[in-house]
Amino acid sequence: MQGFALYPFDPPSDIAALRTDLRAWLAVNQLQGDLVARANCWVSFDAGFSRALGAAGYVGMTLPARYGGGDRHPLERYVVIEELLAAGAPVGAHWIADRQTGPLILRYGSEEQRERYLPGIAKGELYACIGLSEPGAGSDLAAVRTTARETAEGWRINGQKIWTTGAHFSHIMLALVRTEEGSERNAGLSQLLIDLATPGITIRPIIDMAGHHDFNEVFFDDVLVPHGALVGERGQGGQQVTAELGLERSGPERYLSSHALLVALIDAAGADPDPAVATLIGELTAEMWTLRQLSMSTAAKLAAGEDPMVEASVVKELGNAFEQDMPRRVQAIVTSGWDDPDDLAKLLRALLIASPSFSLRGGTREVIRGIIARGLGLR
Amino acid sequence: MSAARDMLCDTASAVFTEAASVGIGPVEDAGFGLLLVPEADGGFGGDWGDVNAVLWIAGHSVPDLPVAALILSGLGDVDPALHAAATVSLMAGAMGQALTLSIDHVNTRQQFGRPLGKFQAVQQSLAVMACEVRAVEAAAAALAARLDATGGDALAAGFEIAAAKLRANRAVGVVTSVAHQVHGAIGFTEEYDLHRVTVPLMRWRGTHGNDAHWAQILGRQVAGFGGRGLWEAMTARDA
Ligand SMILES: Cc1cc2nc3c(=O)[nH]c(=O)nc-3n(C[C@H](O)[C@H](O)[C@H](O)COP(=O)(O)OP(=O)(O)OC[C@H]3O[C@@H](n4cnc5c(N)ncnc54)[C@H](O)[C@@H]3O)c2cc1C
Repeated sequence: MQGFALYPFDPPSDIAALRTDLRAWLAVNQLQGDLVARANCWVSFDAGFSRALGAAGYVGMTLPARYGGGDRHPLERYVVIEELLAAGAPVGAHWIADRQTGPLILRYGSEEQRERYLPGIAKGELYACIGLSEPGAGSDLAAVRTTARETAEGWRINGQKIWTTGAHFSHIMLALVRTEEGSERNAGLSQLLIDLATPGITIRPIIDMAGHHDFNEVFFDDVLVPHGALVGERGQGGQQVTAELGLERSGPERYLSSHALLVALIDAAGADPDPAVATLIGELTAEMWTLRQLSMSTAAKLAAGEDPMVEASVVKELGNAFEQDMPRRVQAIVTSGWDDPDDLAKLLRALLIASPSFSLRGGTREVIRGIIARGLGLR
Repeated sequence: MSAARDMLCDTASAVFTEAASVGIGPVEDAGFGLLLVPEADGGFGGDWGDVNAVLWIAGHSVPDLPVAALILSGLGDVDPALHAAATVSLMAGAMGQALTLSIDHVNTRQQFGRPLGKFQAVQQSLAVMACEVRAVEAAAAALAARLDATGGDALAAGFEIAAAKLRANRAVGVVTSVAHQVHGAIGFTEEYDLHRVTVPLMRWRGTHGNDAHWAQILGRQVAGFGGRGLWEAMTARDA
């Protein structure tokens, strides 16, 4: 880790103008409807919003123009993402495709895959999901057992994925599968880009404890996909996935996905808050401001082509802790009851219930701390 | 980092090593009191980024010497909030040292036939501590950048001073307790170096504004921004 410096966050264009334009766009295009959807908004699905956002040039921003992208700098995209999250915009439909799958296809994909998928992603119309977890493979991804056998016609896939967020509305899944018969652990794993309309795929909802349908079970029964579905190098899937997960850890969603609650707390407190409430607002603000500095510095490092795996994990660990703590600490001092109809109570209830997932998705707390410990030279 | 700051840090490290045994004298003689004084007035013309770097090293190696007070004395009578700002940098350095000592210790001390650092419980505690240390380093650096962007104006950087000092204060508990826990009894001795940074950390938590002080100031300022206004104000202040 770096001692006393922060990596300079220095996007190439006029960031103030980018913010102003996007805020003006949101004022017109973001419906003021469901307040609770503003919390944890990166899982709020709204196809119309995603399409409009894509048409306005705010999706696939860093993809090259020849694939329909915006040719923008990664830090310009960062600014757009933090604005969208701070506003609680419903970015869930295109979120994974924009954040993860698009960049991964650009990096590892074939020319055919890029031409086929990236333009739809950049339009905010093509959605993707991530098929890593299986019943027997959670934290231990090297235990993946779903198989893909190479045949004359293509890859034949058999097995099951689980906890797949958005599989029910996605067009494609980027799946980690075992392509080498009899292989063990990471050797023999590859990534396949699977069109979810292919025959033999069954998607079943799993209702989460909030009563929402966000994740799913996905079954593959002799599913045939073309040879060209392989992404990157055969047998390198494990390494590619590790790189992919590293990229997603440090984004502003790690501390801004519950921002709606802080906004509601401040609004409910008014201009002359009770001292206990002022204290809490001060503490939460200090933590959020610090997290933002860390997240921006890590993003700037990533944009400069460095590999800040440990720092990205620090952002996730601290961000998860902040977002899990926030609803508890708010509940501890406000008078809103569990079933009250006011904004603060509704957000509070929704985030208390959502919060256990924050330190599970994208790598559990223990796994993330293990990565940090390795970075410290302890393993 | 600039070459000038690299040189400054090298000088600071060397001078502080000497000062560690003889006191603040060598630091005064080396001219650190002129660090923030403009070149036109015969000073070094340094900025808050420089101050942060120097105080990080001071917090690391000479936390008991009044290096921050010496540097700020060059500016004459300053807003007390600038002392809080300087303290954040000292705290970041002291926390960095507590982490370094802890890692070295768990990698060498053996129990149950293995170095302590091989035990997952120890690894996880140190990961938590490292996150706090990194957060305070980030807060100190971001605060220095804001002070440089505002010409060292404590009022204009009031939000960042409050946020950074509060964040640093809140890290003290985890950092000192994990550091002492993984050290065992040796860390509780006068002879071993850990207390040279942990006791100053405990002290600094209460000086130049404790948690309640800065949380009130920041909380009331943010209440004035309003819910949505917080985000607008925070992004408008980017250096
Ligand atoms: C809301 C949500 C959305 C998700 N979306 C997706 C998705 O889109 N795609 C996808 O593939 N997956 C998804 N997941 C799954 C997620 O990646 C897994 O839940 C996660 O990797 C943990 O796996 P597991 O649930 O099997 O828990 P397990 O691996 O069984 O772990 C249970 C507990 O044991 C701990 N543990 C495990 N191994 C160790 C160890 N070696 N040392 C110490 N502690 C250990 C874990 O940290 C955890 O606390 C999602 C999960 C959630 C909650």
